[in-house]
Amino acid sequence: MEQIIKSLGLNSTLVAQIFHFIILLIFLRLVVYKPIVNIMEKRQQFIHDNVKAAEEERKQAEALRQSYLADMQKAKEEAQAIIQQATKAGEAQAQQIIEAARAESNRIKEAALQEIEREKEKAVAELRDQVVTLSILVADKIIGRQITQDLQHGLVQEFIKEAGDLPC
Amino acid sequence: MKGIEQVHEELDFWGFLEVGHHGMVHTPIGDVNLKTIVMTWVVMILVGIFTVAATRNMSVDRPGKLQLMVEEIFRFLRGLVYENMDYRKGAGLMCLIFTLFIFLLFSNLWGLVPTMMSPTADVNTTLGMALMVFLLVQVLGLRYNGFNFFKHFVQPNFLFLPITLIEELSKPITLSLRLYGNIYAGEVLIAVLLGLFSLTLDLLGGFIASVVWLAFSIFVSCIQAFIFTMLTIAYISQVVKEHH
Repeated sequence: MEQIIKSLGLNSTLVAQIFHFIILLIFLRLVVYKPIVNIMEKRQQFIHDNVKAAEEERKQAEALRQSYLADMQKAKEEAQAIIQQATKAGEAQAQQIIEAARAESNRIKEAALQEIEREKEKAVAELRDQVVTLSILVADKIIGRQITQDLQHGLVQEFIKEAGDLPC
Repeated sequence: MKGIEQVHEELDFWGFLEVGHHGMVHTPIGDVNLKTIVMTWVVMILVGIFTVAATRNMSVDRPGKLQLMVEEIFRFLRGLVYENMDYRKGAGLMCLIFTLFIFLLFSNLWGLVPTMMSPTADVNTTLGMALMVFLLVQVLGLRYNGFNFFKHFVQPNFLFLPITLIEELSKPITLSLRLYGNIYAGEVLIAVLLGLFSLTLDLLGGFIASVVWLAFSIFVSCIQAFIFTMLTIAYISQVVKEHH
């Protein structure tokens, strides 16, 4: 045993080294160990918080997305309804306008017909007037030359008939 | 070509070898290797500065580089611990595991600085830490399993007692010698490569090999610190496991 210890070069350095190591252990334990553990715990907490926050935010985003989707759906439906209503109103209005136009056209047609009638009557009256005047002129001429029995008779007859037909 | 003793003496920039009997000093607790002790102090101060600088002005959303580094190491170790044992049992051990890893890492890397030495290149350091882990394992086993803890020494049969005893005792020995061997071998090879400098041209002799070896040593330093920590976790997880 003595031989082994001597050949290995063992001596009291061994004890001193154990002592040194324990001093270093205590030093690190007091000064260094705590901050390291603290910072790692803090980092763990930090990461944990971040993950949690991210999860929370994701949930919120999802909710927001859902509400937006619902809003969009609602808006779409409303737009559809408005379009339908507008279409209906437009159709009704178109119908109304067509009706009015038809009525107006009828009225204009009636008025035009009446006008035509009146004009026609007026023209007939005028014509008749002229005919009488012309007849009188013709009669005047004929009378001025010669009147046969027959002619006179016919003339008078016709004249009377015409005169009877005259409105005035 | 210089011998390794010669290189060591030439590298003794700080004059450790001149103190006491070839660097060994007599103190009230016994003989100690002065260089190992002083280097341990330096490493402890470095670890202190590094961790304190990293944990001042910590911020959650804008961590600095040092803070990220320490946090990443811590998170990595915590992952290892929680993979291997119960959450509540593991949380109490985190500080120890973290200290163990960061101290070993700095110790291993410190030996790569010229004229400096890894505290872990001294078997006293590694054996001390391995013994501490060994004791801790026994204490935790007793604490979580009570008297049942002693049962596993004679588990299938009473005849297995010597085998399990050897198994238990081999744990601290392998743990310490693995770390010591790797780091000490690294330093020896660095010294040997430095000794080759005068033999041939610098580039062909020691320089390129030295650079390559230094790069590899950085890797080895990290790996060995990780292995020591990982095995500690594994040993502890074995004894705190609940037996049904």
